[in-house]
Amino acid sequence: MKPAAFDYVVPRTVPEAVDALGNGGRKAQVLAGGQSLLLEMHLERIRPDLVVDINRIPELDDMQITDNALRVGALIRHHVFESEQAVPGPLGSLFSLAVVNIAHPPIRSRGTMVGSFGWGHPASEWCAIAMALDADIRLQGPEGARTVAARDYFHGPLKTARRPGELITSVRYPLLAERTGVGFIEHRRTHFCFAQVAVAAVLIVHDGVISEARIGLVNCADRPLRAHAAEQALTGVGIGPPTDGYRLPEDHPFTRAGRIAAEQDAAPLAEPYADLEYRRHAIAVVAARTLCQAANDHRSRVGRTKGDSQ
Amino acid sequence: MYQWTRREDERLLTGKGRYVADIEVPDRLDAVFVRSKVGHGALRAVDCRAAREVLGVVGAWSAADLMDMPPCAHSAATLQDLPPVPHTVLAKLSSDEAVVGREWPALVKERVRYAGEAVAVVLGEDRYRAEDGAAEVTFQVDPLPAMVTPSAAAADSTLLFEGLSNIALRGEAGKPIEDKVWQDAAAVVEARYRQNLLMPTPMECRTILAVPEGDRLTVWSGHQMPHRLRRELAALLGWSQEQVRVVVPDTGGAFGSKSASFPEFVMVAFLAVKLRRPVRWIEDRLESMLVATRGRGQDQHARLAADADGRLLAYELHIDADVGAYPHLGVGLPMQTAWMATGAYCTPQVHATVRSILTNTMLTYPYRGAGRPEAVIALERSMDTMARRLGIDPAELRRRNFIPPESFPYTTPTGRTYDSGEYARALDLALETVEYDMWRAEQARRRTDPTAKPLGIGLSCYVERSGGEPGGLHEFGSIEVGTDGTITARCGAASSGQSHETVFPPLVAKTLGVDEQRVRLIEGDTDEQPQGLGSFASRTAQVTGAMLQHASQLVIEEAKQRAANLWDLPLEQVEWSDGTVHAAQDGSAAMDISELVKATGPLRVEDRFETGMEFPFGTHVAVAEVDPELGTVQLLKVVTVDDCGVVLNPDIVHAQAFGSALQGIGQALYEAIPYGDNGVPILANGLLDYLLPTYTELPPIEAKDTCTPSPSSPLGAKGAGESGCIGLPAAVVNAVVDALQPADCDLLQMPLTPDVVWRAARAPKLEEAR
Repeated sequence: MKPAAFDYVVPRTVPEAVDALGNGGRKAQVLAGGQSLLLEMHLERIRPDLVVDINRIPELDDMQITDNALRVGALIRHHVFESEQAVPGPLGSLFSLAVVNIAHPPIRSRGTMVGSFGWGHPASEWCAIAMALDADIRLQGPEGARTVAARDYFHGPLKTARRPGELITSVRYPLLAERTGVGFIEHRRTHFCFAQVAVAAVLIVHDGVISEARIGLVNCADRPLRAHAAEQALTGVGIGPPTDGYRLPEDHPFTRAGRIAAEQDAAPLAEPYADLEYRRHAIAVVAARTLCQAANDHRSRVGRTKGDSQ
Repeated sequence: MYQWTRREDERLLTGKGRYVADIEVPDRLDAVFVRSKVGHGALRAVDCRAAREVLGVVGAWSAADLMDMPPCAHSAATLQDLPPVPHTVLAKLSSDEAVVGREWPALVKERVRYAGEAVAVVLGEDRYRAEDGAAEVTFQVDPLPAMVTPSAAAADSTLLFEGLSNIALRGEAGKPIEDKVWQDAAAVVEARYRQNLLMPTPMECRTILAVPEGDRLTVWSGHQMPHRLRRELAALLGWSQEQVRVVVPDTGGAFGSKSASFPEFVMVAFLAVKLRRPVRWIEDRLESMLVATRGRGQDQHARLAADADGRLLAYELHIDADVGAYPHLGVGLPMQTAWMATGAYCTPQVHATVRSILTNTMLTYPYRGAGRPEAVIALERSMDTMARRLGIDPAELRRRNFIPPESFPYTTPTGRTYDSGEYARALDLALETVEYDMWRAEQARRRTDPTAKPLGIGLSCYVERSGGEPGGLHEFGSIEVGTDGTITARCGAASSGQSHETVFPPLVAKTLGVDEQRVRLIEGDTDEQPQGLGSFASRTAQVTGAMLQHASQLVIEEAKQRAANLWDLPLEQVEWSDGTVHAAQDGSAAMDISELVKATGPLRVEDRFETGMEFPFGTHVAVAEVDPELGTVQLLKVVTVDDCGVVLNPDIVHAQAFGSALQGIGQALYEAIPYGDNGVPILANGLLDYLLPTYTELPPIEAKDTCTPSPSSPLGAKGAGESGCIGLPAAVVNAVVDALQPADCDLLQMPLTPDVVWRAARAPKLEEAR
């Protein structure tokens, strides 16, 4: 479990990093938090000739809000999002619900959000949220900068639109409007391992009726997904009253949407301890529960703003 | 200042521990093994030439290469061929009969029998270089059908060793039970249980560093039995035991998995001697996933009969054990399960049969619990099924059948003689602690509330065995008193983290009546302590503790004798108190033992002390909430009540109960090594694949104890190291069964992963009995 020999450079600026990555056709890897890369190098599943360590590039350690959008730079660590206040509005709540599912605290203190986009794992929480929210990914390469929408970015397990020689400098998410309801539920065998299934849900509700639903699916296919069919089935549907208990009625709109997500949107793969039958079932259950959580979140936001105005 | 709980803590918890990998010796080489990725096949064409060209690689050899290697060291002149791996003679874990015709070569010669078996070894200046070299070794394995379950291998359609059955051992305990008993019984329950293959998973994997010095070899190893390692290495090198010194430095856990000699150890010692250079092997996690010894691995069939009042009539257990590819380490281990099949009950007839079957998995070997968890799980799951069948509360069914306290010593139908026990007391304390009636009421409430997740309460009343087997129930040691007042205790034990430094010096100090800071412990070094057995089978407190208490008493006797001689008094007029001798009558000042040593010369006593086999017991309770839609299990409460006789240090005993409970939960809910049909473990890429419970899975655990002293040792202490692994898995599974009430309990096989639980939740329920 030792990496093969590699060269190592520590650029101080983005152009230097891009230069290093494009240098001489060598297999280069970007090192940010290293929580996936170093493990893969130890397992020799990745054998780079060159590791480009971007940790000394100050401009990447930056998070900004401009034009009603959040831009997260490549050195922002996962743990930053543990606080709901790190990002304004419901987006901050969604991030804080999701981030605690990323491995253990030591990993979150080092690993980066943008690193998840470099790695492109189907079980990445951030990547599925990016799909749901139509985030876009900013890349800097030898030919300059370009932006790729999340829907065009993920091509398969660990396969993305990023070209060799390109550095992801940031990921941009639209902020969520005030009363947007958000939910994130992850199902996994232990807190340490990858999700068997996780779902991100965002509900825009007016007068109890869903005007827009956005659903991201984690580890429900060979890449992060957005559940378009389930979203459509929810548009114009009332969220109804809160439900009791863990089990939703069979004919509840969220139960139906969960089934649609599992049957039409997801393309799960079998794995040990989760065959296809179990996986599809679990996707339906987790999706329905996450929608419930988002609806409850919406209700409490409405209640809070009412309370504020009194 | 912060007070550390244990003497070891400051060193181990502030990074000052010194493990084998921390030991620097000049010119040391790192060994890396080239391993077969195929589980079963014929080995051809191993070619190490390219590896030898890699920068920093010092040598690379297949088994064939080593046969032609010229002897280069004087001391190794007699060492012609690579010796095979020795087999375990201790506790009948293996035997000459089982291994004859079944050689375990240190490097594969002709046939690969498990995935990860080493086909070549590369030595490099460091691990990085050696791994680069290993990547250049080429070889081919022509696959043979792989057998990864006992039932597949027992058919003998493919033989692991030509001309010999895959069934390497058959055994039984107790007498066969007549059909009539089953026919006449009011209730008979029958079930199949799979005991999942587990990894012991110590934080530090296996380690060995062999340093040749003149005609001696010093071996540093994280090991539980340094004297065994010395004996086995000396034998395979053809040396006398005095030429080998084994030292156990700080060791990061073992759980049974570090008490043998392994193929890699044979290679390291052999190459160090051949090359006259220090060689080490530091197993990494990826290697251990493939080739560390496995625990458990049994397919069981159990049958339990009772009369209408719930009095047990007969119990039958058949075990098909997966012992792995070679019979060398644990072919006899399943007999531990058979001997302990009776459990805590006075069942008149018990019969257990064993088939130890060779398969294409890595070898099974004792892992914390070692044969007793398998016995407890089969019996205690059957007890819960019987309770449901008869409509008797599971606690009450157990109570009706306990061996009563006045029956001890009690010889079971399966041949064990239990030393002492008060089983109902442990059950009562466990029920009271968990608030059993409250949970039963909550369970009933939830059954009428469709919005509530189902809840179950699982019990497990276990008896286990500590100390070891006959022939291995003794330990050696000594106590030395210095003129500076220091008292040094030495023993044959070896710690892999069990707090020996914290427990034993105070025990010696208390016996002698001196300040415990005066006493230090030296162990894990065969030059310091020439004879010893080691630390396994929860024996060290029980056996080594009793030995050190005994040796302390010898010190007192010796001191009194010397004082009598010095003062020219009759022995009976010399008294001992608080580390001093004084004359009984004349009121003169007491003399500290260090002063006595100054006056009379060095004082050192050494001895061997033996205890009986002892049988700790207890009751464990788990309360589980199940999400039937996703199959997740949440443990709301765990109570362990253990009785290990006299407790030497409550903090340490509770820590053992706690740690072993977490490992028991691991077996019940998380851990397993699935194998593909090709004989290759799947999910073997480290601890993201093999899931251990960590602090985030930790339920509220309350550990309590009762005290029934053992009559088998003057200390009265029984072993305390394995209780949670032994008792708790059955309680956890029983809780899930109790929550879901499936008609077919065989659906719930460990580990109870979400998919398994979900399927059981959807299966037909047990009809309401009444």
